[in-house]
Amino acid sequence: MKAMTDEPMIDVRDLHHAYTHGGVTEPVLRGLDLCVRRGEFVVIMGPSGCGKTTLLNILGLMLAPTRAARVRVAGRETLGCGDAERTRLRREALGFVFQRFNLLPTISVARNVALPLRLRGAAADGVVPALLERMGLAAHAAKKPRQLSVGQQQRVALARAVVARPALLLADEPTGNLDSANADAVLTLLAGLHADGQTIVMITHNEQLAVRADRVLHMRDGRFVD
Amino acid sequence: MLALAWANLTHHKLRSGLSALAVGIGLMLMLVSRGLATGSISEVNQRMQSVAAELVVLPAQDNIIFTSGAPFRGLHERHLRDVADADGPLAAAVIPVFFGQVRLGGQQQRLFGIDPGQLEVFLSGRRVIAGRLFDRAVGFAARVDDGAPRPPDGDAAAYDAFLADGLELVIDERLQRVGRYRVGDTVQLMGQVFRIVGIVETGVAGRVLAPLQTLRLLTVAGEPHASMYFLKLRTGLDPAAAAERFQESLGDTARVELKTEYGRLLRESFASVNLYMTASSGVALATCFLFILLTMHTMVIERTREIGILKALGVTRLGLVRLSVCEALLISLGGVAIGITLAVAVRGLLGVLVPLLTVELTGGQLLAALGVGAVGGMLSALYPGYRAARLDPALALLHE
Repeated sequence: MKAMTDEPMIDVRDLHHAYTHGGVTEPVLRGLDLCVRRGEFVVIMGPSGCGKTTLLNILGLMLAPTRAARVRVAGRETLGCGDAERTRLRREALGFVFQRFNLLPTISVARNVALPLRLRGAAADGVVPALLERMGLAAHAAKKPRQLSVGQQQRVALARAVVARPALLLADEPTGNLDSANADAVLTLLAGLHADGQTIVMITHNEQLAVRADRVLHMRDGRFVD
Repeated sequence: MLALAWANLTHHKLRSGLSALAVGIGLMLMLVSRGLATGSISEVNQRMQSVAAELVVLPAQDNIIFTSGAPFRGLHERHLRDVADADGPLAAAVIPVFFGQVRLGGQQQRLFGIDPGQLEVFLSGRRVIAGRLFDRAVGFAARVDDGAPRPPDGDAAAYDAFLADGLELVIDERLQRVGRYRVGDTVQLMGQVFRIVGIVETGVAGRVLAPLQTLRLLTVAGEPHASMYFLKLRTGLDPAAAAERFQESLGDTARVELKTEYGRLLRESFASVNLYMTASSGVALATCFLFILLTMHTMVIERTREIGILKALGVTRLGLVRLSVCEALLISLGGVAIGITLAVAVRGLLGVLVPLLTVELTGGQLLAALGVGAVGGMLSALYPGYRAARLDPALALLHE
């Protein structure tokens, strides 16, 4: 297992976010602070609507916060970054696993997994088959996602998220749609990646899954609670 | 990106296929209408170039396609013969042509009234394949030209006898093939029964020839009117300089042009019709590209979530526009292939159904179709691509 370092992968200070619908502003994140060290596996838990996914979207640079003192992700201050820079950081430093897998239905499993490498202009020939082998998906490389079970689809999504060795892996309820056996398999894979030094921030409702994390944070009403 | 674009299109085969078909039909309309225009002009021009003359004298009006009747009086013909320099008359031969109309081979044909004595110059070496030229009509022409007295009104039998050897037609081989005519067949024309007496090689200026004197007698009471003239120049003369001399002499009552310019004159005369056809096919084509735009736009809406995934993975805005353009270009190129195939098929079909029509499909026209398809496809994709690029990734991922 690789050791964690004190170098922060995520350093967020006084993070606020609010959604406005029909002239009504609803605060979701209220002055949140978060520091995640490189190589750390952090689980964020909390009730629905407490702001977990909003936080993950901000950390994933898919949403700009309403206000914050600092939002450093993968060693880069992202406040004030334009769309092009945020897109570049997503491509080069981040990996995502979603509850609903979010695989592209029109292309094969292998092409789905290879996509982040191709977007970086890297060769996918040797890496993808090896990763699919590790994920137990070698036999399904040529299939379309809809031909796989939900557990297999989530493993494909996980393979796609880590194939380009992102600095930070963000997982939003990755086991939310899986039965316990598949959930356990995905968690085992995540634990394996963490053992290899992967920094992971995962949202889950499942207390049992959280036990594999280095740290569990609880959210309520847009803040972390002890 | 290309692989992803292709995968997206093949995922919706029917819709992509219909879009390509729409573009193909639009391009086919463009190719066939333009091919018909250029083919007809080129074919008529080639035939006119076959006459062994250097100059043409045309009515002063702008449009030479719709020239009919006999705007030139006998005075013009005499005038043309009289234009001379120190070495004598400039024209070695003045060949009047009198246009009429006749329905043969399933469509209206321009009937060329030619003096039987000038047929050799007019045919310029083209062979008689069957029958003969207006040999007997020479006698008729001579009678008319010599001012032989016409039968009295009311004596139909005497009148028919007077006309008899003038009621003859010579047609070209293409028309003979299309209409399956044979020497000896008869054709109703201007209330008279004409007999096909000869068939000449394809390529003669007129597909249907009749004795000039007959047409003059039946339509302008035998007056020496003409629709146009070919001028065969005396050997050694510069055609352009001679044309100027004739023009000066005729003033603005006619225009004298080099025969080699006839194609340009035809194209100019056809310009307004061409414009209409181009506009019509342009509207059809624009509608087809709107179809692509609609398809791409629908695809963007349907694939909002997938666009969100791509954005989450780090595909840039430009990358999404490129993906959209790539998909539209693939549809357009498919449409170009379909359009060219359809155009070739329609040309073949017209060749069977209306064999006298010439549809010209040149390399330039096919390249233009490719260009129109590529540019149209790209333009059709820009707005949907822009919409895709502006989608918020977090919201797009929530899209059902």
